[in-house]
Amino acid sequence: MAGTNRSLLLAVAGVFLLALLLPLFISGYGIRILNLAFISAIVVIGLNFAFGYAGLITLAQAAFVGCGAYVTAILTTSAGFSPWLSIPLATAFGGVFGVGIGLPILRLKGHYLALATLGLNVSFGIVATNWKSLMGGTDGISGIPALTMGSFSLGTDHRYFYVLWVALVAATWVAWRIRISHVGLAMIAVRDDEIATATSSVDVTRIKVQAFALSAVYAALAGALFAHMTNFVAPDDFALSQSIVYLAMLIIGGEGSIIGAIAGAIIVTFMPELMRDLGSAYMIFFGCLMLLILIFLPKGLLSLVALLGRRFGTARL
Amino acid sequence: MSQQLIQLLVSGLAVGSVYALVGLAFILVNEATGVVNFATGQFVTIGCFVAVTTVIQMALPLVAAYALALLAMALFGVVFYAIVFRPLQDRSVVTVIIGTVMIGIVIQNGALATWGSVPFRPRSPFGRQVVDVFGAAISAHALFVIAVSFLMIGLLYGLIYRTSIGARMRAVAQDRDAARLMGIGVGRLFVLTWMIAGLLTGAAGILVGPMWFADVNMGDPIALKAFAAIIIGGFSSVPGAIVGGVLVGLAEMFGAAYISSAYKDGLVFLVMILFLLIRPQGIFGERIGERA
Repeated sequence: MAGTNRSLLLAVAGVFLLALLLPLFISGYGIRILNLAFISAIVVIGLNFAFGYAGLITLAQAAFVGCGAYVTAILTTSAGFSPWLSIPLATAFGGVFGVGIGLPILRLKGHYLALATLGLNVSFGIVATNWKSLMGGTDGISGIPALTMGSFSLGTDHRYFYVLWVALVAATWVAWRIRISHVGLAMIAVRDDEIATATSSVDVTRIKVQAFALSAVYAALAGALFAHMTNFVAPDDFALSQSIVYLAMLIIGGEGSIIGAIAGAIIVTFMPELMRDLGSAYMIFFGCLMLLILIFLPKGLLSLVALLGRRFGTARL
Repeated sequence: MSQQLIQLLVSGLAVGSVYALVGLAFILVNEATGVVNFATGQFVTIGCFVAVTTVIQMALPLVAAYALALLAMALFGVVFYAIVFRPLQDRSVVTVIIGTVMIGIVIQNGALATWGSVPFRPRSPFGRQVVDVFGAAISAHALFVIAVSFLMIGLLYGLIYRTSIGARMRAVAQDRDAARLMGIGVGRLFVLTWMIAGLLTGAAGILVGPMWFADVNMGDPIALKAFAAIIIGGFSSVPGAIVGGVLVGLAEMFGAAYISSAYKDGLVFLVMILFLLIRPQGIFGERIGERA
């Protein structure tokens, strides 16, 4: 057990280190897509707390990304905050918002929770579109400054890649620490059997709110990083359809797994680029693929890897 | 009553009865088969566009065109049963929700590929005719929508509560295994349920077309209001869906007129979330704490 864990950690660390070399080989557009994939990976690692571990079906993850992005945008444009300061502030706001929403809403289960979070995400879009004085309406907010270190700008896609790399490694490491902690185990216990968990004197509501708030924190962090990359936020980037895409990423990668979350985010972000030929038929293909994965590979692509691993006698992921 | 008040009342009722039809399709499927169909809105889209094809593109006489469109929607329900429902049938709630969301995406983009992104404007059987109601000018189509919706709801009531098929459907909804042991053909009833869902959403699509534009993205907003309607009315209650639908329709029209047209949809969702938190069983429904 300890041995497999160590070899897995080494493998993950190796992949992350190799990723550092990627900007040397990838040209402008490719690195932009890779950056977007990293941002999505942070969102989906967060979603994994709520959906993968605690089993909470939430369709509002994009709204929390939007919160982080808009808080950052407002702080760094009209309020004049430093871009570096705006990121932790936006992340903290995401956490507070997550707790505030989670406390009332997590009494709901199954499709009721799905509908409530769906309503939440649509409402976020309505507010962002109509609150013109604060959130800029459909035009959004532009002129968000890029990150700088002294006089050295981190604004180009190649430089920003390293910022996102640090963020993703940190996000992964923290998620892993939480996963093996008491809280992480309690989340999984809540998903597997809520009543049994409650009788083991675990505060189920509290664990659910923690999982939900954690996913909001990750989403808001990713949103803040997104705003500093694109220098522009608009309601469309945080629509309900985007929440569905985040869920799809987690399911494709394998729910309940941090590595699966990262892999799913990267695969789904690059898929439309690789299948450019399909044109507008891509979404039809994507929906069918998701349905097939749900039916035949309920644990995502990772279950394929695990299956192969078992066949060749190596460690399970 | 002032003229504007009557106009708002009638248009609210018309829109609301469409939401009621969609909401009924949703709870009928959920009660009978245990599947939460998040692609219900795309059923409405297909209904609306099949009518676009029969009425505008094939230029059939209206009665034949509507009948053909409804027939196609019943078939659509059966196909959905075979391709989507059967593989997802016994999966977890979460899998079913995400599966039907994904199918909704497939249907919506299939519609986009078939009918294109330029909206159609289906004509009403009454054209732009206007009727005088208590001194207010009311569109004849709005009255037609209300009449047809309530006719369909009446037929559905008759089927569920007055026929032996309806009794069997209710038995399956209460306890599928017990019903099967009593010799009820559960599979055939499922097919019938999906056909009725196709008919209800098809009718909603046909009726809504002339009120708004026929646009391939029309499904989600309508489904969201229908969801709100059944949450407000009570999730598994037939009268709840009707009352909820009408309330949402009226709230939408009066909210747009008197409070804010920009936030009218936000208002509906606010009421829905408040209901979920304060009275989750809705106006007519059962307590939901035990169901998940």
